[in-house]
Amino acid sequence: MNHVVLVGDMKTGCKGDMIVTHALGSCLGLMVYDPGARVGGLLHAMLPLSKINPQKAEENPYMFVDTGVPDLFKTLYDLGAQKSRMVVKAAGCGQPLGNSEMFKIGERNYTVLKKLLWKNNILLEAEDVGGTASRTVYFDLSTGQVVISSKGVKREL
Amino acid sequence: MNQKELNLILDDVKSFPSMPAAALKLLSLLKDENAATGQVEQVLRYEPGLTANILKMTNSAYFGLPTKIGSIRQAILLLGWKKLIQIVLTSCVSAIIDKPVQGYDLPAGDLWRHSVAVSVATETLVKLLKLSVPDEVFTAALLHDIGKMVLGRYVEADILQMDQESLNDVSFEQVERSMFGIDHAEIGAKILKRWSFPPTMISIVRWHHEPDAAPKPNTAIDVVHAADVLCLMAGIGTGREGLQYQPSEAASTRLGLTQKHIEIVASQMLQWASELAASVQSGS
Repeated sequence: MNHVVLVGDMKTGCKGDMIVTHALGSCLGLMVYDPGARVGGLLHAMLPLSKINPQKAEENPYMFVDTGVPDLFKTLYDLGAQKSRMVVKAAGCGQPLGNSEMFKIGERNYTVLKKLLWKNNILLEAEDVGGTASRTVYFDLSTGQVVISSKGVKREL
Repeated sequence: MNQKELNLILDDVKSFPSMPAAALKLLSLLKDENAATGQVEQVLRYEPGLTANILKMTNSAYFGLPTKIGSIRQAILLLGWKKLIQIVLTSCVSAIIDKPVQGYDLPAGDLWRHSVAVSVATETLVKLLKLSVPDEVFTAALLHDIGKMVLGRYVEADILQMDQESLNDVSFEQVERSMFGIDHAEIGAKILKRWSFPPTMISIVRWHHEPDAAPKPNTAIDVVHAADVLCLMAGIGTGREGLQYQPSEAASTRLGLTQKHIEIVASQMLQWASELAASVQSGS
């Protein structure tokens, strides 16, 4: 089955499922897969830290990296995934031209992700982050394959 | 660029669909402090198609009204006529821009969702920063990218070369200009001019990517500019050119905008924008 993940959303699935998320700009796209259990999930988080709007984080933890990432992992553990087998890939975290501190949401999303993973002893297997690109992610839960499409070009991550 | 192609583009501007006459009438009422509820009702009396859409939007979760609204009069009473006029204009715009846009690779509905999001983000920024802007700013925000609907098929034809030029880290409207001698912002301004829209709106659309190039700094332009960047970053209606645009530091300074403001607005507007966009789209 095909699942589409919108901005500030997360979906998990198993063998036979395909998860797609469109137009990652500054948002973080995080793909986590357990090849043993053949389950995986994709998070599309918009902002780094939930403290900016705790009420919103309560309603929807997937809007923020610091609440969405732990939730994604927990959901996968509930589906039988094991930490030692997890393959984690990241995409997105882009930013507009120039070097405006104010518009560095993408960079901050990435930093918060790295901190979270580091604290939990989890490594990023692959990443396609930064720059001005808009990225669409296709995540095949039968194989764990992640394909990124940008400007009409598809490549495997 | 070649002149022949530019002429073709300008011809397309001339044959671009017009706005319903009611829209222009309502826009002029919006600026009239003495306009009465009755005048708004009168304009809408002859637009049954619009009325259905207005009621659908008014009853959407976005406005969070406690009761279902069944008439225009009731909607005016609960929302105020200024808000109601904005709803009518939003509905008029949706009919025009709810289409796929080639070149920028926007599927049907994406430009609409982007436009609504920029309008909602503009409104949220105006409230948060306590800015003083004219009421037309929200409608101008809805129309800021309308030029893409004309330029799209030309972009499509030259996209590989434009992708190549984009590698030099130049803002995409500059790539458009070097390619066609005109960019989507200027085309949009020409469309609004043909519609006889007010100069403030034309100016917002014209300078939404380059607020510092406007004849003089203008809060309304600055705020739509910032809202647009924010929505592109959030991936709402972000097209093939991605984030290939340059936010103006000067505009942010003029607005008193900080990183915190941007994140607060981003966290608030997402749900509002999708509710509002869906209320017109569903079944339309």
